[in-house]
Amino acid sequence: MYNLPMPHLLEAKELTKHYGATIALESVDFQINDGITGLLGPNGAGKSTTIKLFLGLIGPTSGSVEVLGERPYESVESRSHLGYMPEHDCLPASVTAAEFLTHMAQVSGIPPAHARTRAADILRHVGLDEERYRSIGEYSTGMKQRVKLAQALVHDPLLVLLDEPTSGLDPGGREEMLALVKRTGREFGISILLSSHLMGDVESICDRIIVLEGGRVTEEGDVSLFTQETQTLYIDVDDHIEELVAALSKRRIAATMDGLSVVVETESEEQYDSIRDAIVESDTRLRRLAPRRHGLTDIFRRTPNE
Amino acid sequence: MNEAHGEVFDLGYRHYEGPREGRMRARKAIWINGVRTALGIGRGWGSKALPILLFIAVMTPAVVISIAAATAGNLMDLPRHDAYYQIISTLLVIFSAIIAPELLCPDRRDGVISLYLVRPLSPTDYVIGRWLAFLSVTLAIVYLGQVILFTGFVLAAEEPANYLRYNWMDVPRFLLAGLVVAIFTTTIPLTVSAFTTRRAYAAAFVIGLFIISIPVAGILSICDEDRGRQRNEFGQDPEPCRPPTGESAKWFALINLSDVPIHVNDLIFPKENTSEFARLVAELPSIVPITWYLLLTIGPGFVLWWRYRRISI
Repeated sequence: MYNLPMPHLLEAKELTKHYGATIALESVDFQINDGITGLLGPNGAGKSTTIKLFLGLIGPTSGSVEVLGERPYESVESRSHLGYMPEHDCLPASVTAAEFLTHMAQVSGIPPAHARTRAADILRHVGLDEERYRSIGEYSTGMKQRVKLAQALVHDPLLVLLDEPTSGLDPGGREEMLALVKRTGREFGISILLSSHLMGDVESICDRIIVLEGGRVTEEGDVSLFTQETQTLYIDVDDHIEELVAALSKRRIAATMDGLSVVVETESEEQYDSIRDAIVESDTRLRRLAPRRHGLTDIFRRTPNE
Repeated sequence: MNEAHGEVFDLGYRHYEGPREGRMRARKAIWINGVRTALGIGRGWGSKALPILLFIAVMTPAVVISIAAATAGNLMDLPRHDAYYQIISTLLVIFSAIIAPELLCPDRRDGVISLYLVRPLSPTDYVIGRWLAFLSVTLAIVYLGQVILFTGFVLAAEEPANYLRYNWMDVPRFLLAGLVVAIFTTTIPLTVSAFTTRRAYAAAFVIGLFIISIPVAGILSICDEDRGRQRNEFGQDPEPCRPPTGESAKWFALINLSDVPIHVNDLIFPKENTSEFARLVAELPSIVPITWYLLLTIGPGFVLWWRYRRISI
């Protein structure tokens, strides 16, 4: 008996998409499996085109795109396994959230009686249990974003594609939405492809990232790979900052001041002993001593040849 | 005494393990939602008022004729099944022009279409579902009117059994003619609605199109009876009344859009239609009004399908 390999949730093979003379994607290869994956890139990088290809809304110019081994452009049935939360407005104002979600569950293939139960369950999970019989038109922006997420989850998909889920939210609403997305990925066990240009959103909740630039994959891997420690050491102090810089210079350690921080480019681990001695000598009150980490924004600061 | 107490548990997220009925369920959902939307079911009274008012207006002629048949007792002078669709055609056009855009325009204006088309549903499934939904509503209206009329005539007849025996053929005829009328009044308003996100624009365009077609057809095809009479008063021989476009008038009579399905209706019922446009079209070969009807339903139907095939979200 043969054990057939499990297909990837999403897979792009030599994927190319041209709009006339404009190249949206060029020979893109990647796979998406369990967990939360971030699709990063500036405007025009090809993120929306990638999502449309996975949803089967457009066909590739060449190469292939597969959802659980099926080609979505050729088989609409494969979309039963996917959920999609668009960035733009997509909710009717005159119906209640409960009725809208029940209808959307049915359009995803779920029979009416089950659809009603699913709608109630999902609205509870996104925190709209009490408000589910109010017209969507009366909801705040944050509540509408939750309904958008709920409709993407109502048919219990294997993977949801979220397009800028925190768009238009205030800082509090953004935190709540990110927590909800994280919970969806971790507790509900639903895989997520999160398309965003906000590095902070991606860094805080994603396990893995795929970076698109100019229609090509420029970086791919676990988020931890892109947020490793650097050789730069930050020393945050309360006072005697100039004395600390002088003490470091005496020990031949180059240091610069940055507000109430001293920044040191370390060359070896042995320097840590000298830094400790310099702090003691300058009699400064230490608040924090930690290496700087790379951020995802650094990806876009690098030159193309790096 | 034991006090009742309860405890609330967070069951957490539960995956769905019930049946999944795929594309067929999606199509049914679009159809049912379309019927509910057209009738304002599950919405506020503001959404229900207009369909109810228009429904009452379309049903009124059937009820009035049935009551007249029951009270007068003489069925001969009353409009029968063959004339019913002509009586309600204007009301039906107004009903369709106002209600049909409700099925397509808000989905594109609010962006809901982008949620439909990422589910197991193709643009063709969506547009056919909406078309069938509105066809179901218009069919229900035209058939209900005819059923009221038929019931009224049977009950008003001196011998209902005899009435049924001699008039049972009216039933398949009004069913077929009703289908012809409903398909026509469904397709054109929905096609117009596919090109705008504003319901009011679609409704105004459809009503305008049908209203303008009546005088245009009239000017080109119906003769000036008054001018003929004037000549007679001056002592001249009255000339036979001829339309300004002569023989072509029969063809120009086809321009009146609201009568297009009525010409096919007149071929289904054996009784002669005495209206001006119907008399002119009756002089043409039967294939002409049938072909014209098919062109004006299949053509817009194709445009509607093509429009949604090319929709981008």
